[in-house]
Amino acid sequence: MTQPVTTSSGAATGDGGGVWRRSWFQALIVLAVLVAGYWVSRTLGHPSWAGGFPTGLGDGFMSWLDGIYAWIVENRNDSPLFLYFFNYVSVGLGSAVVLINQALDALTWVGVTVLGVLAAWRAAGWRVALLVLVTFGVFALSGLWNASMTTLALIITSVFIALLFGLPLGVLAGRSERFYRWLRPVLDFMQIMPAFAYLLPFVLLFGIGNPAASVVTAVYALPPVVRITALALREVPEGSIEAATSLGSTPWQILTKVQLPLAKRTILLGVNQTIMLAVSMVVIASVIGAGGLGDAIFQALSKVNVGQAFQAGLAIVMLAIAMDRVTGAVGNGAHTPDVPERLRMPVLGGGLAVVVATVVFGRLFGLGGWPRNWAVDIAAPVNAVNDAIEGVIGGATSAVGTWMLTWVLSPLSEVLTGAPWWLVVLVAAALGWIFGGVRVAVISALSFVAVGLLGVWNNAMDTLSQVLVATVLTLVLGVVLGVLMSRNDVFATILRPILDAMQTLPPFVYLIPAVALFGIGRVPALAAAVIFALPPVIRLVNDGIRGVPAGTVEAAASQGSTPWQMLTKVELPLARGSLLLAVNQGIILILSMVVMGALVGAGSLGFDVVFGLAQNQLGLGLASGLAIVGLGLFLDRVTQGRRASHA
Amino acid sequence: MPRFPRKNGLLRLLAVGAALLMVSSCAVRTDQMVRDPDLVRIAVNGWVGYEASAEVLSYILEEEMGYDTQLMRVDEQPSWQALDQGALDVILENWGHEDLYELYGPEGNDTVVDGGSTGNEGVIGWYMPAYLAEENPELLEPEGLRENTDLFRTAETGDSGEFLAGAPGFVSQDQGMINAFDMDLEIVYAGTEAAQMTEVQSRYANEEPVLFYSNEPHWIHEQLDLVKVDFPDYYDGCDADLEYVDCDYPVYDLNKIFRKGFVEEDDYAYQFLDNWEWTNSHQNEVAGMIADEGMDPTEAAEVWVNENPDVWREWLPEGYEQRLQ
Repeated sequence: MTQPVTTSSGAATGDGGGVWRRSWFQALIVLAVLVAGYWVSRTLGHPSWAGGFPTGLGDGFMSWLDGIYAWIVENRNDSPLFLYFFNYVSVGLGSAVVLINQALDALTWVGVTVLGVLAAWRAAGWRVALLVLVTFGVFALSGLWNASMTTLALIITSVFIALLFGLPLGVLAGRSERFYRWLRPVLDFMQIMPAFAYLLPFVLLFGIGNPAASVVTAVYALPPVVRITALALREVPEGSIEAATSLGSTPWQILTKVQLPLAKRTILLGVNQTIMLAVSMVVIASVIGAGGLGDAIFQALSKVNVGQAFQAGLAIVMLAIAMDRVTGAVGNGAHTPDVPERLRMPVLGGGLAVVVATVVFGRLFGLGGWPRNWAVDIAAPVNAVNDAIEGVIGGATSAVGTWMLTWVLSPLSEVLTGAPWWLVVLVAAALGWIFGGVRVAVISALSFVAVGLLGVWNNAMDTLSQVLVATVLTLVLGVVLGVLMSRNDVFATILRPILDAMQTLPPFVYLIPAVALFGIGRVPALAAAVIFALPPVIRLVNDGIRGVPAGTVEAAASQGSTPWQMLTKVELPLARGSLLLAVNQGIILILSMVVMGALVGAGSLGFDVVFGLAQNQLGLGLASGLAIVGLGLFLDRVTQGRRASHA
Repeated sequence: MPRFPRKNGLLRLLAVGAALLMVSSCAVRTDQMVRDPDLVRIAVNGWVGYEASAEVLSYILEEEMGYDTQLMRVDEQPSWQALDQGALDVILENWGHEDLYELYGPEGNDTVVDGGSTGNEGVIGWYMPAYLAEENPELLEPEGLRENTDLFRTAETGDSGEFLAGAPGFVSQDQGMINAFDMDLEIVYAGTEAAQMTEVQSRYANEEPVLFYSNEPHWIHEQLDLVKVDFPDYYDGCDADLEYVDCDYPVYDLNKIFRKGFVEEDDYAYQFLDNWEWTNSHQNEVAGMIADEGMDPTEAAEVWVNENPDVWREWLPEGYEQRLQ
């Protein structure tokens, strides 16, 4: 293969254009080798030495996992490991969710609303309180009050667990470099692993329904609070700690009196992130029997009812936005009403009295959840709009879909699955070398070998082809829209709230219109993945271009650059850091949609994860999930290779 | 960074303490989770017929008998597991699954009880639109189908014919049948039943060929004119090797599965569910309203309950009214 590119020099800064272009050229050569290899293998009739990865070892691994599964099912209520540990956790968590849910029911809908609004006012001011009121209004009017309370109970439980473990871990990581170095890869792994993939093992250990759902949600939401807490503690000025030490403080005193108070704001930011992740995971957890809003969406999906899904999706978006604003405001304290010290207790007491009074009132009149008949149905009009859109562009989109399948997806998948496995591994290594250096090359090769060893090579290659196509589409669309957004402030103002909403909308919701427009198969899955991954890409491109120094732009303009030259020679190259980040984020989001896509016929790895979950085949489900992580690791490292080696 | 020599010792002490506490207190079984005694927890598997049964029963339990119900949407296999763990009380419509009954039933974990027939008879098979079968009657025989798989080619499957499979959680032996009857077919997994049905409906509307997995009772048969491919009848053990199945699916007598603890409590809710029995056409009426007319499931159940009091009054256990006082 061609020469390695030096990664140490100023490739990412200054004039890296030459090196950059050379890497693309090398990458093209490598891809040409891959296609040639496929062609040779095909002409020779796919001999065994040039086929897919041998599956022997993978099959053994899967049946070993299936054995573990069978053992657990038989011994869940006999083995001490379960009797004295896992069952404690699962019974405790399951009971916690039920109890919180009952408590919310006991407060009645008026009580919950008054409590929520007053708490939001005290913490974040009247604007946010109003938002909370609207949110409760949406829960009630959409007829999803009970589902929302279930979701809320689940979120409270899992955020509590996430913080219970996350904060101490973060503190330890903030104080011990060695511990942090050991912890960081674990956190990376947790973030790349698609949420669906680890549902099954948790179901197995903790039991289906609320217990597993709360553990899974907590695990998914844990990384940001650990990372940000660690970061916050590290950022506490050395001077303050030294001063405290010289005054004879014990380490415990330093932690509680100096470090934690100074780091409080940043830590709260981490808590905020954790809550947001928990909200998005709770929806996915409906697949393992967690009730609530996620279940409402899942049900609508299973009946292809776009309107119903939209209604439940709206409730989740409102919940997410409200929780974000409340915790965000607590973090920066900007809008907290300024209550004088001596009035604090009376205000608190008065608030409690109001809440108690409403609850008593609510119970006296026998109000429980919001009565169904008072619900406003927006499902029907949304469905009508959706049908109209489908009627107008349905023909065109299905033609595009067929074209996509015949000319892009199928050939690419054919090349990746048909090429000899060792060639694919070598190509991955070469790409890693070109874009990230030796370390990345080794990681890339190893992750492909691992995918092969898991025994799911062919499916993984098919999934890879879908992910690659989705990534390219996302980037093209994202760059175009991002550039437009950076050029036009009006467009940007219109687009921004839409992007916000899109990012909080659960991915389930995207699937349904995709099926309506593109039928079943890989194309609707592709469409849903692209839509899901677009918002952050657009945002990052926009931020990157807007971040180019005004002086540079002016200098180029005064030298007579055309707008096109300005964009391609000045703005995009200077925004490369943001662009690379956009590529990276886009890929991770697309990977997280692999399993969702299987719900509308994408097949391959995603389907096997869903199948494993549905048919209790731990081996197949987990192996496929891990293979997705393998692909993710490769794509992640290749796309951020340089940045990482500079950091 | 300051080091903490005492930290490890302290942690170890805590861990040992926690372990001792757990072991010294009693062992915990998963079915000891807090449960509201007025709450009936019903599994809902992912097809509309099942949902119809669940919604009707839940409506009567709530409105007539004063219970709360929780409908938990899970796949078939996990819902057995949930009964075993005590997270659910009943599976209303079970299709076969003898292996699971062996595992969790009286011979195995002894946590579930066979609740007898629901009155519904279940058929699974390969279906195609009637217009297709009229033009090509030979497609209804395995030999004729084998010769003509090219009719079902799509962009998704390329040179092979397409077979649209159901949701991943469903009972399936399709690949084995494809192997045994040597058909050039590729299975496309829709991922959910709804996605599959949308595709079937759109092909039917365009009078295109389509071959797919389906079952009866199912609302789609009320809406579209479909015929079933006639494979050799099921015989004992023909589906032993799922890679080679030279027979059709068996005919299932659909039954209920209860959590053992739920049966032992012998509450009115259990007695009611135990009495429940209805026909395929009852189920299709409700399922049709939900899936075809897009009615809210609870409303559909309400309509059926209001129209058929003579049917469901039979299921109510004696003395249930005492609950309401």
